[in-house]
Amino acid sequence: MKIGIPSDRPDLNGLVENKLGNAAHLLVIETDDMSFKVMDGPSGSAGAGSGVHAVSLIVEMGAKVILLGYIAPYIANSLEKQGIKIVTRISGSVSMAVTEYIESQLNPELRTKQPLPVQSATQNLWIDAFGRGLHQFQAFLPLLVGVILLLGLFKGFIPKQALLSMFSGSVLYDSFWGACMGSILAGNPVNSYVIGKSLFNVGVDMAGITALMLAWVNVGLIQLPAESKSLGTDFALIRNFAAFIVVVLMSSVLFSLTGGIV
Amino acid sequence: MSRAKNSSSHMRFITLLRPWLFPLGVIILYGLGLMFAPENTHKALSISGSIFKKLALPICFAIIVMVLFNRFLSPATITNFLGKNAGIKGVVLSSLAGVLSMGPVYAWYPLLKTLIDKGASKFHVANFIGSRSIKPFLLPVLVAYWGWRFALLFILMSLAGSLIVAFIVSVCCSD
Repeated sequence: MKIGIPSDRPDLNGLVENKLGNAAHLLVIETDDMSFKVMDGPSGSAGAGSGVHAVSLIVEMGAKVILLGYIAPYIANSLEKQGIKIVTRISGSVSMAVTEYIESQLNPELRTKQPLPVQSATQNLWIDAFGRGLHQFQAFLPLLVGVILLLGLFKGFIPKQALLSMFSGSVLYDSFWGACMGSILAGNPVNSYVIGKSLFNVGVDMAGITALMLAWVNVGLIQLPAESKSLGTDFALIRNFAAFIVVVLMSSVLFSLTGGIV
Repeated sequence: MSRAKNSSSHMRFITLLRPWLFPLGVIILYGLGLMFAPENTHKALSISGSIFKKLALPICFAIIVMVLFNRFLSPATITNFLGKNAGIKGVVLSSLAGVLSMGPVYAWYPLLKTLIDKGASKFHVANFIGSRSIKPFLLPVLVAYWGWRFALLFILMSLAGSLIVAFIVSVCCSD
């Protein structure tokens, strides 16, 4: 039988790590002869999905049992449905953990790790849900901070007048520039209504203004790194590009429908 | 032994630092700005500060929603309501959620990632983001600035545009 264990060292003398996602090494040990294979662990570098990634590595190597300190209940449930046994609250050396597990299987009286009572399990689910929520946010925090700082820098350095001077009077051209402006600027949409009104007052047509207001929320050039990181580069690029084109076309259509009069 | 320990702690430090390289790069730009254009940089800092303040409430709200989703929504439920085969109910749900979501879109990215991880289709996630251009609480402002006729057309165009973009995303990006 093969047993998977996260460890701080690439041999049987290492200590069992508490979580798979933080492990420096992943060991899969054959209990018949105590031979083992070692893989580099994710060491938390893969962010929120590092634990799931480590699980898939261990399972791919044929482990039927995983010994470790803690694993999220939803991952444990899903693994147990696949016939993989999870034993938590394990600490100490890897060799000792494997030996104790084998002995406990041979002698059921030595099985000290009892299932948690129902109330405690429910509490664990809440703690786990909260922990995962915080972890998901924590993984995203650096990019969020970067995007906001970049947004401030952009607004602080690019004067509004420079942006206003780009409109010419042609419907398609103004829609394009309106969409460009809306793609770069960000913030509460009410700002786009106010900027739109000031553009209207200086003679910019409704096509450009509508494009600005639609692109303000739909297209985000400065947020692109954050969207890419969370939802995938393909998703972010295709969504923003498609939204930009749709905004330009919609603004021209809206201009035709209203005759440019509000 | 101690060299191995040093190397391991060095790796951990690099791992912890890597996600912060982007904000650190922007902070360096601020440093350069303070040297060469202090007035604009102070303005930029004040704008960033005000964005951070405005973001606090939506972020708290998004985290609470994420915790509730983590606790109660299984991949099967999400796939049922927002999966590829969710049908019209998925379209209505994702549009409604987008319209009602508050705060900047980047506060919602972690939640949207969670939804995708749990089985939501990219069509519905794109539709959620697109539907955010409709803000019920800003409707009076929109009407006051531009009138009922334009406001109504603007909302209809936003909803239609959001569905078109979501369709393009679902065709071009595999779930």
